Amino acid sequence: MDFYLGLAQVIGVHTLLGLSAWCLLHTGQVSLAQGGFFAIGAYASGMLTTMAGWPLGVALPAAALISATVAVAVGFPALRVKGLMLVVATVAFAEIVRLVCFNLTWRVNTGSGPVGPDGSLGFGGIRYFPSNGWSSIEILILIWGLVAAVMLALAWFDRSRIGTLWRAVGEDEVAAQSVGINLTAAKVSAFGIGGAIAGLSGGIFAHQVTHIEHGNFTILLATFAIAYPILGGLASLWGTVLAVIFIQGFLIEGLRVLGDWRSLLFGALILLVMLLRPSGIITSPIGRWFARSIRFDRPAAPTTGGKTHA
Amino acid sequence: MNYNNLLDLSQSLIDGVLFGSIYALIGIGFTLIFGVMNKINLSYAAASVAAAYVSLLIVQTAPPALVYVAAALVGGVLGALVYLICFHLLPLNKPLATLMSTVGMLLLIDEAIVHITAGMPQNYPAMFVGANIDIGPLSLRSDLLFVFGFGCLVMIGLTLLLKRTRLGLATRAVSQQPVAAQLCGMSITGTNMSTFVIAGFLGGTAGAMAGAAIGVLSPLLTLPLTVKGLVVTVIGGLGSIPGAIIAGLVVGGAENLFQYLRGVSERDIYVMLLLFAFLVFRPGGLFPPPAGRD
Repeated sequence: MDFYLGLAQVIGVHTLLGLSAWCLLHTGQVSLAQGGFFAIGAYASGMLTTMAGWPLGVALPAAALISATVAVAVGFPALRVKGLMLVVATVAFAEIVRLVCFNLTWRVNTGSGPVGPDGSLGFGGIRYFPSNGWSSIEILILIWGLVAAVMLALAWFDRSRIGTLWRAVGEDEVAAQSVGINLTAAKVSAFGIGGAIAGLSGGIFAHQVTHIEHGNFTILLATFAIAYPILGGLASLWGTVLAVIFIQGFLIEGLRVLGDWRSLLFGALILLVMLLRPSGIITSPIGRWFARSIRFDRPAAPTTGGKTHA
Repeated sequence: MNYNNLLDLSQSLIDGVLFGSIYALIGIGFTLIFGVMNKINLSYAAASVAAAYVSLLIVQTAPPALVYVAAALVGGVLGALVYLICFHLLPLNKPLATLMSTVGMLLLIDEAIVHITAGMPQNYPAMFVGANIDIGPLSLRSDLLFVFGFGCLVMIGLTLLLKRTRLGLATRAVSQQPVAAQLCGMSITGTNMSTFVIAGFLGGTAGAMAGAAIGVLSPLLTLPLTVKGLVVTVIGGLGSIPGAIIAGLVVGGAENLFQYLRGVSERDIYVMLLLFAFLVFRPGGLFPPPAGRD
């Protein structure tokens, strides 16, 4: 049972990460910086609860805010480039964050010995949940509560004027600009909101696993972050959820019985899904059934793709 | 800074620039493919390392020089396969799907290597090990020098191919204006395919050279090579081959320099900051693509 609770927690955290990439993909920006924002959120919230002794309820929003601030700061220079250049710029940012985590040593003494990031050894002892007596079920409820809140907020965004602007920018930048849409505002707001969500998921991740290190935040994580919305399909938020369940639940955990062959199949199955459903899982019969049975956002509108030269 | 420090500094700079020819080759591959398809092939560096692995199969029976040729040929075959699977079968107007399919291919190749070699690094035959050329107090490692010279030869060959042959003309035409090229009777699929094969030759060579310069091949090589190759592509200017060559050497040199000055764990921070500096002050790279081209 604990195994399934843990899996559901992982799926929740990764869903948040995927949703953060969804925001950026919606404005036509392929960003591999999400892993970096995730890392910032994880380190910031961990340091706030262990070193400063803040309660989680304050530390998580603070971590999200810090990530969002960094994301906006990154978003402005990143506006100068797009397509492949943006991908590489965000890769560079994520690598810088990872390497800073790798080199960051800042230990403080508390009642129960020194805590804090310890360079290449990572940052352990983020024991807010165990020391406050949270059970797995309660952590799970917290995670999925946050997922639900973020999805509701994004669904509302998507129907509001902001969502329309984002989609217009994602479809065709030149056309959007010529009808008077402020490109800077649209892109930077997507970066900021995406950064906040990634920071939030990083914060939960740090407290769920209690030990984080630079190896958690490689380019592979950022690739997963954009893989979820793309594999799932950008037309609906549910695509991201479906893709996370497909990758984390089926490809990573479900295929464990195959042993060594699992990791071989992993890449091949991602490839296969893309070949069969270039617009995402959500356009497949299973995806349509899933989206129909939980009718929550609009019926899938054909708004995928956009003009991302990537 | 005294005389000895200065010597060490120059020495690491020289080693880095020589090693940078590998980055230059990977960068050229990315640039070539981006030039004709306007898309990134993220599996490129992984395929290059895989080609070097496959070339190890003949190492017992053939002289080491042939291993490099084999790596190039296998790289070409892998390039054609990647094009057919990840690009040709997917709709052109879905750039994100192609991006993801090449990521899937990257993971597949990586895991295939790990699966077949059980994750053990494999020794790669190097040439001229130990024979160093001394210039005053500095010495040039001749295996790195060989890698550098070989890389230069390949780059000259590529430039001749692109500028002097009909195939090169077609490649340049398709990268400039695919529709017009098709109207003039060039096969877009054929040209794209041959570009992938050429890029594969370069990649296989680069993989073999990386193996020779480091001494071992390991699946851990693929991600750093991918990242460095992309950095080189951007610093050099998208679609520019001379840019990729110069940027490759610069990145290689800068990497070793920072490693000497700041240690191996901080080295890449400064390389990435170098890239950021380029993106902010010269977003087009060293040789920006001509503006206003569709």
